[in-house]
Amino acid sequence: MTEPPDPATGTGPEPVPPPAAAPPARRGWLRSLGRAVPYLPAAAPAAIVVAVAITLLLASGFHNFGWDFFGLKFNSDQGVWGVGVLIVGSFLTAVPALVLSMLLGLGIAIASTTYLPRALARVLDPTVDLLAGIPSVVYGIWAFVAVAPWFGRVLNPWLASHLAFVPGFAANSISPSSEGVGLPIAIFVLTLMALPITTLLIRDALRSVPRDLWESGLALGATRWEVVRRVALRHGRRGVWSAAFLGFGRAIGETVAVAMVIGAVDKLPSNAYDSTWTMAAFMFQELDAAFGSSRYLELLAELGLVLLAITFAVNLIGRRLVAHLYAEEVAGL
Amino acid sequence: MATALGPAPGTGADALRRGTTARLRWRTGFDRWVGYLLPLLFLVALVPIAYLVYFVSAKALPGLSWAVLTSSADYQIHDALGVPIVTTFLFMLLATAIAVAIGVLGGVAAAEFLPERSAGWMRMSANMLVGMPSVIIGYFGYFAFVLYFHWGLSFLAGVVTLAFFMSPYVFRTVDLAFSSIPRPIREAAFGSGARPVQYLLRVGTPIAFPQILTGVFLAMAIGVGETAPIVLTVEPGLLVPTGAFQPAVFTTYLIWTGFNQPPGDVAYTLAFQAAFLVIVVVLALNVVVRVVAARYRQRLEGLYQ
Repeated sequence: MTEPPDPATGTGPEPVPPPAAAPPARRGWLRSLGRAVPYLPAAAPAAIVVAVAITLLLASGFHNFGWDFFGLKFNSDQGVWGVGVLIVGSFLTAVPALVLSMLLGLGIAIASTTYLPRALARVLDPTVDLLAGIPSVVYGIWAFVAVAPWFGRVLNPWLASHLAFVPGFAANSISPSSEGVGLPIAIFVLTLMALPITTLLIRDALRSVPRDLWESGLALGATRWEVVRRVALRHGRRGVWSAAFLGFGRAIGETVAVAMVIGAVDKLPSNAYDSTWTMAAFMFQELDAAFGSSRYLELLAELGLVLLAITFAVNLIGRRLVAHLYAEEVAGL
Repeated sequence: MATALGPAPGTGADALRRGTTARLRWRTGFDRWVGYLLPLLFLVALVPIAYLVYFVSAKALPGLSWAVLTSSADYQIHDALGVPIVTTFLFMLLATAIAVAIGVLGGVAAAEFLPERSAGWMRMSANMLVGMPSVIIGYFGYFAFVLYFHWGLSFLAGVVTLAFFMSPYVFRTVDLAFSSIPRPIREAAFGSGARPVQYLLRVGTPIAFPQILTGVFLAMAIGVGETAPIVLTVEPGLLVPTGAFQPAVFTTYLIWTGFNQPPGDVAYTLAFQAAFLVIVVVLALNVVVRVVAARYRQRLEGLYQ
């Protein structure tokens, strides 16, 4: 540890004597090689990301399906593959799930940081994190066997009778044979799966608001709600936005659980309770069907590129917003 | 009630409320009711997770016995989990070994040897890899290993795909563990003449070790519950694989194939028993992660105060 020289007297710590004999200088190229070596292991994740993108590009064969690729006509027997159906399906499940999990996440995070006693919050917070630990396929079997029938018997008819004035929610259009699979149960599962991410990031954003700001808000006579609403959430808005982006990334990329409850039908849903399909679930379930048809395989690879591009963009934005936040807690996401 | 924000309205607010307008009464009342109602939202997380664990246990436990867990009979006909359990163990052993090799070397290199700017890029790509849908990783494994490398739908293809899927989790925790070693300790080591390798082995690793361990357990918890990368790259086999290019069965595959079978069917029973095992393993790993992380934090506080 060196101390700066005292400007008044001009005396600093004893100057370090130069080494008596400098070690023989290594040759330049050897040294730069030595400096380059650590890049090799460190670049492994980057290499995997690039390899995934290149592999999908090669597998797609650069085949030009034209604008029909994004079309809404889908019939694999006739060779008409418009993945627009799947893109719509992905957004129809991911967006409502994101909205719900953001609302719940906001509520839970505010309760935990603002209203609950510290000790209680410390006990309850990990229960939300536990949701992140349950594997996707376990959510799927539970939702399909335990929850979906209840959706079909109780929730969907209830929604139909109470939201009949909303287009698509009318009662006469619930298919009785669906046993509850379809959009609502998929949205339910995705909400649960995105909830730990949104809650964690919003909680972190609220925790990182300086205590002074809370206190000055309260001292000015604002209630706790008003401080959270007008001061804390505004201060932590980057974290809230990143929660939205990363939660969306999780919801739109979710594969197995959605495949189990979405109904897996390659058509647009005709109402809010209907079955449809998503990009990720379609890719997962249709690889077998593509066996022997190179054209179909190319289509799946291109669909993978679309999904990759969407999740990549969403994650990039979400991570950039919380670039400072590379904390232990977030390492699990 | 002492909250994170100090005393709740009641003491000071009561004094304020005397002789105030309806507006103020509404504001404080609203705040109080928000305080009562918002914590109930925790139930939205608690009830599903409790119901899920209860439901799967209730379906799995009655038929589950030591004989089922150890029976090596054909799982397509009998209620036998021996082969999937041993195979999953092999999967996890090999995939974890590869993921740890990639993640530890990469994380150490990024934290200790790379300039901050380059390390930032590596971190970003690890984050991107974590955010990548599992089906995309599965497709990558299918096209790259199964088709282009001609490994076929084999044990090896599944292991490597799973390892790639798990590696960024190890990478990030190791990187974080070494990056967060306090600067004075690093400087003391180098100041007393340690070479980089000596620093890493004698100083850095002992401090970072618990955190590295949590990273490995986290990656295992995520890997053991993963379905898509395995289902897309491995052909389900009836025996424990003895070679790299043999078929192999992963536990989650049983859940995926049995979930929509009629109740009473062997596949249906196996699906729930497999789901129960996966939940137990994943939750146990999560508990270990939390305990180690908490102990690590205490140790750190004791060391550097």
